[in-house]
Amino acid sequence: MRRLPVYLLLDTSGSMMGEPIEAVKNGVQVMVSSLRQNPQAIETAFLSIITFDSVAKQIVPLTDLASFQVPDIKATGTTALGEALELVSSCINNEVTKTTTESKGDWKPLVFIMTDGVPTDNIQNGITAINKSRIAQIVACAAGNNADTSLLKTITESVVSLDTADGQSISKFFAWVTASIGVASTKVEESGKETSGMKELPPPPSELNIVL
Amino acid sequence: MKPSTLSYISKLLDNKGLKTINEDALKKFIAEEDIEEKVASILKTQDIIMDKWIIRSRIIDFQNQSIRISNGTVNTNYNYAFTPHFFSEKHITQFEFSDIDDLGLSFNKETNSIEGVPKKSGTFKLIILFKVAGESESTDFNRKEISFVINPDPKSLWKDIPSDKEAIFWKEDDKSSSGKLQEKSIIVSSKRGRSHKNVGSFRDDDFSFKSFENTGWSIVAVSDGAGSAPFSRKGSEIACDETVKYFEETILANKELESFENKINSFSETKEELLLEEAKIEAKKTMYKAVIHVHEKLQEIASNTFQENPNLFEGLNEINCIEHFHSTLVFSAFKKFEIGYVFLSFGVGDCPIGIVNKEQTSSSLLNWLDVGEFGGGTRFITQRDIFHSKERPMSSRFSIHVQNDFSYLFLMSDGVYDPKFEVEANLEKTNKWVDFIEDLKGNNEDNTTIDFDKPIEEVEEKLNTWMDFWSKGNHDDRTLAIIY
Repeated sequence: MRRLPVYLLLDTSGSMMGEPIEAVKNGVQVMVSSLRQNPQAIETAFLSIITFDSVAKQIVPLTDLASFQVPDIKATGTTALGEALELVSSCINNEVTKTTTESKGDWKPLVFIMTDGVPTDNIQNGITAINKSRIAQIVACAAGNNADTSLLKTITESVVSLDTADGQSISKFFAWVTASIGVASTKVEESGKETSGMKELPPPPSELNIVL
Repeated sequence: MKPSTLSYISKLLDNKGLKTINEDALKKFIAEEDIEEKVASILKTQDIIMDKWIIRSRIIDFQNQSIRISNGTVNTNYNYAFTPHFFSEKHITQFEFSDIDDLGLSFNKETNSIEGVPKKSGTFKLIILFKVAGESESTDFNRKEISFVINPDPKSLWKDIPSDKEAIFWKEDDKSSSGKLQEKSIIVSSKRGRSHKNVGSFRDDDFSFKSFENTGWSIVAVSDGAGSAPFSRKGSEIACDETVKYFEETILANKELESFENKINSFSETKEELLLEEAKIEAKKTMYKAVIHVHEKLQEIASNTFQENPNLFEGLNEINCIEHFHSTLVFSAFKKFEIGYVFLSFGVGDCPIGIVNKEQTSSSLLNWLDVGEFGGGTRFITQRDIFHSKERPMSSRFSIHVQNDFSYLFLMSDGVYDPKFEVEANLEKTNKWVDFIEDLKGNNEDNTTIDFDKPIEEVEEKLNTWMDFWSKGNHDDRTLAIIY
């Protein structure tokens, strides 16, 4: 079975404390229960969560939606986005099966990043690492005014922003991620191809601004 | 006097900031005012309070403990075992899971596990009613809630929406057929994939076959319409039908294979390799005309449709409107000769044609598949450039195969090949074909057995049942033609 791996990189730095982190937790919860109702997603999509504050941690390894349990997430510390990027590339290396002549490997992963601030570490090594990884698509979301969209643009072409990092906006972002995973898991089954650009994902809701 | 009474009173006075005058005065005070008894009562009350607190803290600790149990799935056996001392080490003396029988589950005290087959999906709160050590029989049970997820049965999530019969180029959602091809029999089943059923879209696969008694030839064609092409359901139909039609009305009617047949017959006597090579070239030329015809017919129908309904072809013109009909095509025409069966095959796209010998000890793939990253994946009969590709020359798409006799000849779409063979390399392995035959004969999860000795209508019906096999992540249209 070819899996569609999805990595969520979530900012859990101190500034996310309170409403934003609760919205993230809720967003993951709603996303997973909604994807469980999608026949294509529940069979193909596998989800992993990497959080980054003062350090980056993979708090849920790549797990099928049926067994996935929403982790407890707390906000504290600084914003080690660079480390998170390095971590996701090593996770992809270890967890995503490559295609050989003997067996078909997994689909290329989707990576979603959400951050509300500026990285407090050096992200250059992280960018080098993800550029070397087999990834179908990276989408970065800048939540609120303090996030640096131009820096996110150096990570990926596909950057969206939320005007404010409040519960309402964050939940809209997760709803869009949910729809995107749904579309991607249908597309790989239908056409045997991964999505490769923002235009192949569903149109983002009005709360999400596409950063050009 | 108990020393504990004296020390208790000293500490009490000390705590209140009062100085003890002297020990003797204190002893006298204790004796004369019945203090001993009163202190004993206080100490006893304190012990009772402490005991009660210990009980309460056991309850709170358990209620606060995060317990995660694995998720269940409707209609799938569930078992979650707690460690053997999970409850006892938390001083829990009595407990029960209330209402889990509503979910189809029960708690097995012997194995300390929740088990059963979940009946309904959703996120539930499992309630544990419990008592801890020290609580009396008469007290009420305490409650703890644990979150519990039951996934829907993935099979139940798939909808089965019929395709729109009013739509242009509508065709049957499922189709099957059977018949005689000279001495051999054929059964074919073509079914709309789950991903198409789920959204009410069309079956893009198709097939066609015919046997021509007077000439001894038979032909079978299978085509898979591209998922991304809106009218590929028609493309695949035209591709198959026109192949068979051209073979009958032009190739056979004009005796275009006569010279080929003569050479094959001479070869069987003389064994002169050159004759065989010449025959092969002639056969390829004849088949090439059939392929050109199919492509042109598709172009003609696409252009006609475009002229009638240009609004259906946004961004396309009268020529490239054929893109909406993108379909693959494989076919094999065969006849029994003195030297054995001769197969003339062609393939564009990713549908394999496989043949297994009578003894089932060797197999051959009669075409190569357009797969892989190279050149952008699959190719279609609707693409002009397949006729002049340098990387994949047109001539290599034809094959002439000679075989004494065979047990099975298969033509299938990727909806069958992907789940059953997974990768191209496996199509080259005889054991994989033998496994496939075993699968058809009943070595499968559903225990669907196709008995090829039964009357052909029955075999066809069984194949239709077999085609519904479940395979995670494989929900494409499926077409399988078996000649046996």
